[in-house]
Amino acid sequence: MAQNDTLIKGWQPVIGLEVHVQLMTNTKLFSPAKNQFGEDANTLVDLIDLGLPGVLPVLNEGAMKQGIKFGLATNAKIAETMIFDRKNYFYPDLPKGYQITQLHYPIVRDGVVMVNGKKIRIHQAHLEEDAGKSMHDKYDDKSVIDLNRSGVPLLEIVSEPDIRSASEAVNYLKKIHQIITYLDISDGNMSQGSMRCDANVSIMKPEDKEFGTRAEIKNINSFKFVEKAINFEIKRQIKILEANGTVEQETRLYDSIKDETRSMRTKEFANDYRYFPCPDLVPTNITEELIESVKENMDELPEEKQDRFMSSYNLNEYDAGVICADKETANFFEKVVENADVQLAAKWIIGDLNALLNKHDMDLQESRIDAENFSELIQKITDNTISGKIAKEVLEEIWNTGAKVSEVIDSKGMQQISDAGELDNTIEIILNENTDQVNAYKSGKDKLFGFFVGQVMKATQGKANPRLVNELLKKKLS
Amino acid sequence: MDKIELKNLLFLARISAKENEYPEIIKKLENTFELIDEMQDLDLSDLEPLNNPLELSNVTRIDKDKNRNDKKKFLDNSPESDEDYFNVPKIIE
Amino acid sequence: MNFKQQRDNFRAKKISAVEAVEESLRKIKDDQLNIFINHFEQEALSNAMHIDNNFDDFIAKPLSGVPIAHKDIFCTEGLPTTCGSKMLENFIPPYDSTVVKNCLDAGSIMVAKTNMDEFAMGSSNETSYFGAVSNPWNHDLVPGGSSGGAAACVSANLTTISTGTDTGGSIRQPAALCGITGLKPTYGLVSRWGMIAFCSSMDQAGPFSRDAFGCAALLDAMASYDEKDSTSTKRQDINFEESLSKNFGSLKVGVIKNIQELDISEDVINAYETSKTVLTGLGHKLVEVDFSELSSGICSYYVIAPAECSSNLSRFDGVKYGYRSKGEKDIANLYMNTRSDGFGDEVKKRILIGTHVLSAGFYDAYYLQAQKVRRMIKLKFENFFKDVDLIFMPTTLDQAFEKNRKSDDPNRMYKEDLLTIPANLAGLPAISFPNGFKNNLPIAGQLIGKYFAEDLLLNTTNKIQEVTDWHKMTP
Repeated sequence: MAQNDTLIKGWQPVIGLEVHVQLMTNTKLFSPAKNQFGEDANTLVDLIDLGLPGVLPVLNEGAMKQGIKFGLATNAKIAETMIFDRKNYFYPDLPKGYQITQLHYPIVRDGVVMVNGKKIRIHQAHLEEDAGKSMHDKYDDKSVIDLNRSGVPLLEIVSEPDIRSASEAVNYLKKIHQIITYLDISDGNMSQGSMRCDANVSIMKPEDKEFGTRAEIKNINSFKFVEKAINFEIKRQIKILEANGTVEQETRLYDSIKDETRSMRTKEFANDYRYFPCPDLVPTNITEELIESVKENMDELPEEKQDRFMSSYNLNEYDAGVICADKETANFFEKVVENADVQLAAKWIIGDLNALLNKHDMDLQESRIDAENFSELIQKITDNTISGKIAKEVLEEIWNTGAKVSEVIDSKGMQQISDAGELDNTIEIILNENTDQVNAYKSGKDKLFGFFVGQVMKATQGKANPRLVNELLKKKLS
Repeated sequence: MDKIELKNLLFLARISAKENEYPEIIKKLENTFELIDEMQDLDLSDLEPLNNPLELSNVTRIDKDKNRNDKKKFLDNSPESDEDYFNVPKIIE
Repeated sequence: MNFKQQRDNFRAKKISAVEAVEESLRKIKDDQLNIFINHFEQEALSNAMHIDNNFDDFIAKPLSGVPIAHKDIFCTEGLPTTCGSKMLENFIPPYDSTVVKNCLDAGSIMVAKTNMDEFAMGSSNETSYFGAVSNPWNHDLVPGGSSGGAAACVSANLTTISTGTDTGGSIRQPAALCGITGLKPTYGLVSRWGMIAFCSSMDQAGPFSRDAFGCAALLDAMASYDEKDSTSTKRQDINFEESLSKNFGSLKVGVIKNIQELDISEDVINAYETSKTVLTGLGHKLVEVDFSELSSGICSYYVIAPAECSSNLSRFDGVKYGYRSKGEKDIANLYMNTRSDGFGDEVKKRILIGTHVLSAGFYDAYYLQAQKVRRMIKLKFENFFKDVDLIFMPTTLDQAFEKNRKSDDPNRMYKEDLLTIPANLAGLPAISFPNGFKNNLPIAGQLIGKYFAEDLLLNTTNKIQEVTDWHKMTP
């Protein structure tokens, strides 16, 4: 099972991820309070979320359907009957003193996702409620509790320990992100905590039959940190084992500032969650009819979309793959090409637009670029209103200001000069000013052709139609 | 049940007791377990556990919001709060 | 005066709701038995006035114009709800329980909330933070529990109806010890929304009244399908009051084989034998059933109820509402001291038992085994009910006992529930009614029925009460 290209100093890392995904339902998992991010503290708290005495949970059918969607998208088994359990522990942001989750009868089990051609198995995905938030900075001697998040539905996706490197873990996580955003069941926003990740990491020798002792790393809140945290942990474990020490089975916290994992203070006693079936909720049967109705309303999955883009837009596999990497880009592309050239649009999205997004570490939604405006940009290139070079400037401008493409071009006089008469004059002047070079060119120094083109472009501030410039220059110099 | 087990149990249940009360508590608990343990002789290996007497299924709620929030009342009901939050002694992470 | 007379008087405009409430409140204020934790003069009078002013809207309601006392386990919006605990001494719920709301809609007026064992854990009402309740028949004796205040209230004629909850016998046992009628409905018939949970899979609210008639009318008000309770059941709408006059014909009634082998007092057995002749006199056939098979129910109960309660009571931590231990500097001590000071000994003991039976290494031997016993008991009842329509047995092993007496021997106290627990484990309906007297103290029997056979239980009890007078005795 060991793959030699993932060995580090002769050790084989073995990794499993537990990904918590906040579901985008209207309401919470067991209460009718709104499920929303960023509202005023304690305003989205229902009687149930507050854990008042005598209140009772009732399951949100929307959350159940989203769980089924995920199961269908990962070719998993959907439970015929799912059962909610109570996980008992005390914490001030856990109002009932227990979390309702699913231990033995989760909604989804035995799924699989393909990550760069490799199968990563999903052990199970289960529904559970999120806790509130405790904050520690408002007072010196007190912490404060906001219960807005209390009861928000989570889907916890637990992989098998099939991952063999930190970069593979990142790719797996990106795949999960892609699936949940395609299914529209979560926004997958790691910085806002709507997707969170714990990693189980151990190392073994390739010839070993059993996995090593694993450490669980908590609190990893970006793709970048997943890679760093796991790599740090692998190195830490190698160091221990090579010094003949033993790795402890424990929970560790990733500290992104120091870039290290550290042991969470071991409590005086081991915690014991005392799981048992929640008596307030009866076992829930999931019927074939329900699964069918979810299937009918399911959006296109990434692979399906990629195939369609290849066949109906004639994109090559690579371009279709990049554009379909996230749903937002794919939707953007489809809107752009309603009125613009497909291949040119693909080239610009994959090239310049992606470069800008990466440079500013943003996604499309956060940027000022909208599909209609971008489509116009592509059209202006196609109809020779602007050159590719000018188009880059226009893109920069709309990125910064959000202005309309046509306005930018008009106000800055960026239209391409395609008038032969006007260009003829400019070329005439340039050739007269550079008689030495003209003579050199005519005596065989062909390379100087580029120099003349450059001079023309400079004189026209890049607005000259390059094709026309070439044509006219060739004529004049021959 | 020994003192260490009881200490662990008290911690899990978040109930405090003085060490000199331990023997009395242990006695009470063991007394109850004597009563309970009468069921240990029954061979019930072929029976499924029963969690809920009526064995119902399929209770769900439509995903539509209903506002029962009363922030001020909720916070006023708590032993300590400010205008926005429930307050507790500093939690040391 | 019984419930029916009181309601008839209101409907005939012989007495207004305000007058009924004033009379009830006067007696409540004179109460020497510690039956109540709070009473609500202002709210009660203004509700009564509302009913009087809208007489026509209320005349046909099942509880029209009748004062009622609710067990202090039911949340009442804006009015204190203590559950008999220091933990909730000053707790004001921001919402109403479904039971309280249903009773209000049915035309009753809440005048007070009754004393109870802390968090419904007890069989004598002595675990209440607000002190023990006295039995109206003899003030040195307990009224039973946990709904001791509610049973004493009707027994002492302070109201003609009251609500209670029954997890392991907490309606039937105090009804028996106080000489009134009390019904534990099928699990799921009455909504648990707003009823402070002890053991969620067994807790069930039900009515107290002097007789089956009052219980039927109150159950008509209490029972409803409730979307807010996932364990609430949709059922055919039955009017229990009307079903009292139905003719169910001759029934097969299961009676206990070899009753002498159980640890039941002679007086209780004598009353039981007499009731058997009443049943045959009414044309029913008796069939012996072997109850000994159900006695392990008590083991199962004292695992499952504490297990669920240990989890249900975790929310009482001094953070969001209720009692908080003062001056704590860190969260660990805040939890520990809040819960140690806020809960009484019996509650703490059950939390510890429940925590233990759910913890790693003990779960299978205790919790899982107990759930299997529970399955066994349900199956036994299913078998019984292949042959019989109802099962008849005593409610308690003995009559009311002295305060403090059995508190010293907890297992003796727990065994008090031997005859009531099986119906809770299986979720079956059961009704207790007075069926004898000895030493000026009531004795009771109970009928257990199939799921949702409340109409049959009430009808049969009513028929018995038409030919006997035990339910008419007053202290």
